[in-house]
Amino acid sequence: MLRNLLKKSLMVSAVILTVGPVILVMLQSISFRWKWPDIIPQQFGLRAWQGVFRDPNLLQALTYSMIITGAVVMLTMIISMPAARALAFEQFKGKTVIETVLMLPLLIPLLFIVMGIHLTMIRLNLADTIIGVVIVHLLPAVPYAIRILRTGYERIGTRWYEQATVLGASRFKQFWTITVPMLMPSIRSAIVLTVVITLSQYALTAIIGGGIITTLPMIYYPYFNSADQSIMAAFTLLFAVLPILFWFGIELVCKSITTMIRQP
Amino acid sequence: MKLLRNKKVRPYLHIAPAFLMIAGLLGYGVINGILESLQMDLSWSNEAYRFLFVESTFWTSLWYTFYITLISTLIALMIGFGITHFLFPYLVKDRWKAIIWVPMLFPHFAAGYLIVLLFSDSGWISGLSYKAGFISGLEEFPNLVNDSMGIGIILTYVWKEIPFVVLMLLPVYVQMDSRLKDVVRTLGGKKRNEFLTAQWPFLWPTIIEIAIILFAFIFAAFEVPYLLGVTFPQMTPVLAFEWFFEGNWEQRPLAFAAMVVVTLIIISFTILIYSTTQKYRHRLMRGS
Repeated sequence: MLRNLLKKSLMVSAVILTVGPVILVMLQSISFRWKWPDIIPQQFGLRAWQGVFRDPNLLQALTYSMIITGAVVMLTMIISMPAARALAFEQFKGKTVIETVLMLPLLIPLLFIVMGIHLTMIRLNLADTIIGVVIVHLLPAVPYAIRILRTGYERIGTRWYEQATVLGASRFKQFWTITVPMLMPSIRSAIVLTVVITLSQYALTAIIGGGIITTLPMIYYPYFNSADQSIMAAFTLLFAVLPILFWFGIELVCKSITTMIRQP
Repeated sequence: MKLLRNKKVRPYLHIAPAFLMIAGLLGYGVINGILESLQMDLSWSNEAYRFLFVESTFWTSLWYTFYITLISTLIALMIGFGITHFLFPYLVKDRWKAIIWVPMLFPHFAAGYLIVLLFSDSGWISGLSYKAGFISGLEEFPNLVNDSMGIGIILTYVWKEIPFVVLMLLPVYVQMDSRLKDVVRTLGGKKRNEFLTAQWPFLWPTIIEIAIILFAFIFAAFEVPYLLGVTFPQMTPVLAFEWFFEGNWEQRPLAFAAMVVVTLIIISFTILIYSTTQKYRHRLMRGS
């Protein structure tokens, strides 16, 4: 009895701790003048959200962020899926070394690496360009994506693929009828995480983007001290909305392709 | 084309793009960074390191970084582990997992803003304590963000990393053989024995891995302390970023040297943890 009660209260506090602050930001973003010490705002309005979508700097940053995030997500998946598959299913010489190297970006400070490649990026004309920013964003994204996808592949196992090969399905068909639907939960998590990781990079974008590629984080920092709380709250929520949008987009694409393939 | 179908070559080809990209950028960046830390006025010298080590600002900054990292890592690990351990049956359901995912959706600096919203002197909790009668005005609320103790930074990391800990531990709990627990119970073991003999051996390798990832991440982090930090003491990566960016080229070797020190500390920490747990792993296998 007591144990159950403890569990229930732990559950409630965990939910309050995770979701509580987010609800507060939502309230803040639709509030109109929220004065201390009111627990809930007295007036509501969409002024802050209108402000966000009217600010030309913010729209520019949103466009840059969407382009970069889209490119990073695609490249991360293209690079990580075959690597994760090989790590999950195959045994080969040097596997442990390769695995360690692939996880190294989680240990070596990215700030250090990016500072180290900065001059070379300038010489290669990649500094201050979208391509340069996309390349450095792959560093934090790929290790996590490989990790998640690898666990996903391990959960599917090799048997489905063996059966499909026996039945004469092509590699392409195997990919769309086995990998995509069965790996979908992992793909989804990897994509959402990749989007969050790219949207989180301030230092990397600042150094390689040189202040010319102004993504959302680049204008978030100046906003922090100057703009009013409601716009800041709406801006903050935007960071959580974007990953969800990407997730829906990918889901839609994969669903429609798999249903197309299932048709005889 | 024959090469592509060769079973021995294929795994390497699959891994090549990821491996070359990471190894190339990482190796090049690290080597170049070390070289730049050893240059002063276009000639070789260890001047940058000499300067760092006589400078008390740098030592204070390193200690401050270490303290914030250690506290945040430990608190996030303990709470995350507690939540997973006691709520695991609920957490495997998609509904609850989605709730745990929520803080993962926000970048770290956005989490920093949430902490400001909650804990600043004109924040929500301050308002709540006023309404509850704990404080009689704004100014009585303790300084919890932008404070020299780094409480705001720690709170941000704890909030952001707890879900990470939970989501890393959940698969281990899912895969754990619950029959082992039953064996311990039939043999007359108590709850504590159940945990120590049937669960802990499976959990600790993952816990150590999480600890290392969190330590490395927070120790090298820039975004949150840049937003919530005070001018003194500063976390080392912020110090390095400012030296790098100040436009003064003489200070750039300092930035690189500081990051070399940070990298060395993270690597030594990782090696230390791995080597001490390696012994434990052997003992565990021998079954004593």
